[in-house]
Amino acid sequence: MGGDMKRPGAGGSTPLAVGLALVLAGSGLWIAGGDARDGRGAVVSGRVALSAAGRVTFAGTPPAGDPIDMSADSYCGEQHAEAVIDRPVRVGERGGLAGVLVHVRNAPDAAATPEDETLLDQVGCLYTPEAVAVRVDETVVIRNSDETLHNVRVTPEVNRGFNLGQPIKGIESRRSFGQPEIGIRVRCDIHGWMHSTIHVLDHGFFAITGPDGSFTLPELPAGEYEVEAWHRALGTASQTVTVAAGHPVEIAFEFGG
Amino acid sequence: MRRTASRRAGARGWWVWAGAWAGAVAALSWSAPADAQDGAALYAAGCASCHGTDGTGADESRIAFDDPLPDFSDCSFASREPDADWIAVAHAGGPVRGFSETMPAFGEAFDGAQLQTIIDHIRTFCDDPAWPAGELNLPRALITEKAYPEDEAVWTTTANAESPGAVVNEITYEKRFGPRSQIEVKVPFGFAEAPTGEPGTGGELDTDWGGGLGDISIGVKHAVWHDDQSIFSLATELVLPTGDVDRGLGADAVRVEPFAAFGQALPADAYFQLQGGVELSTDTDAAEHEAFWRGVIGRTFTSGEFGRAWSPMIEILGSTALEDESGVNWDLVPQMQVTLNTRQHVMLNVGVRVPVTNTDARTTEFLVYLLWDWFDGGLLDGW
Repeated sequence: MGGDMKRPGAGGSTPLAVGLALVLAGSGLWIAGGDARDGRGAVVSGRVALSAAGRVTFAGTPPAGDPIDMSADSYCGEQHAEAVIDRPVRVGERGGLAGVLVHVRNAPDAAATPEDETLLDQVGCLYTPEAVAVRVDETVVIRNSDETLHNVRVTPEVNRGFNLGQPIKGIESRRSFGQPEIGIRVRCDIHGWMHSTIHVLDHGFFAITGPDGSFTLPELPAGEYEVEAWHRALGTASQTVTVAAGHPVEIAFEFGG
Repeated sequence: MRRTASRRAGARGWWVWAGAWAGAVAALSWSAPADAQDGAALYAAGCASCHGTDGTGADESRIAFDDPLPDFSDCSFASREPDADWIAVAHAGGPVRGFSETMPAFGEAFDGAQLQTIIDHIRTFCDDPAWPAGELNLPRALITEKAYPEDEAVWTTTANAESPGAVVNEITYEKRFGPRSQIEVKVPFGFAEAPTGEPGTGGELDTDWGGGLGDISIGVKHAVWHDDQSIFSLATELVLPTGDVDRGLGADAVRVEPFAAFGQALPADAYFQLQGGVELSTDTDAAEHEAFWRGVIGRTFTSGEFGRAWSPMIEILGSTALEDESGVNWDLVPQMQVTLNTRQHVMLNVGVRVPVTNTDARTTEFLVYLLWDWFDGGLLDGW
């Protein structure tokens, strides 16, 4: 399976020395035309559908990261028993790479934007989670759970930016984005170590990897898709994935090396 | 420069509000803001971490941005703008007035009453009452002088609507000194139509157009009294005979023009201003002694919550020569001032001066000025 990788803003196809692998496995879901049931018994009606899941891993030794100096705001320091390390590349068990956006570039027509809200919290002077992905026009709830002031400065390139002052514990602000945009930067100007990312997509076929690098995409109709993995520091990797009836798909991305 | 309570630029391009983490925050919670009406506590929670507990700006080691911070204890900075502009920036963030994007919007954290208490607290950082409040910096009319001392430059153009034709420009530069004083220099120049003395093709005397300098003047102004809603100033101008007399661009006499000016802020962003004085000439054959009195009344409207400011005004002008029986010249000057840029420190005013008496000897004039409050930033800043 071929693929290419590039760093954000590098202009498209600059390859990185990254190995990619796509593994098609023959276990898991059974699929049929018309009404069908997945392995958990849920009804999948009217189309051939398959889940696509996988892991993103980092090969080699990740950067050690730097300790965060929170002495400018004693409240922040008091929230952590141990020193907090700023890790631009966060690697978990078995080399799993956390915080990577995996999304389908040529996704099927989008369904209606869900009414659900996605939370971006500030806890212990850190963003939680470190990145969120939402649909166009989906609401992002930005909360300050700290007893200290944060400002939330969001600087998109396509969408409209904003800068919110959140001086009170528990305050929530709601915002949405009207255009798809990957990698919107979020930061606090008071606590310079605080940074996060908001991804906005015009479809629902995306996921952000967990601490172990794993992800699960929503079910896809049979077809050929270009799937991309995006990481702020490591760039992007993409590969073509064929989803066929009766075959669940497992996708593997590997950065580093 | 002019302004009203609901608009005007903040000052300079370095507004950067932000807030404090401060221990006072511990007393606050989103569900129950215990000190909701305490300006000092709200300032500590929302502002002090960047602007400092004393308003002079937090130490660079405590913040993560490079934008220079204003000094709220500097009266020259802190007194110039009305509360409404401070509240606009606090509510919607720096960009609402063309200032730094680093200044966040606190409109979802504090309501209008809370923001007002914060501004009230910030006002305490300047403890010198000699500085008139920004609310007294009323919109500048086309003719009537303001009482408020300013830092601004104004280009005014006057064009006759009837023959003889004349287009006169006047560049005014004003510089404030201390809390109450101001000097100014006016340099007029223009083009005017004048008879050549030769008969024209239609039998009437022929005319031609020519340009030249007008009478340059220098002036001083001092605000002798003010309270929260009113301001009274005394001023004088010295007018030098530098103009082209033949073109009607000047008079061949030195004149001294002492006058008084008064400004009154009214509810609902309305206001009136008065000016009265005399012009005394060193050569009454060249320029008569004259008394004048002027008044302007207006109100400012805002587009949207914090948008462009529109100030319709009407001036009533009166003047009379002191040594003859020529009567009183009365004029009306309806006009509209509008802010041009987001920072609201560049403005345009357009009006027409219509003679009401002695209309045979005086012509209708179109007037327009472009005003730049240079203290608030460069001419191209804040658009």
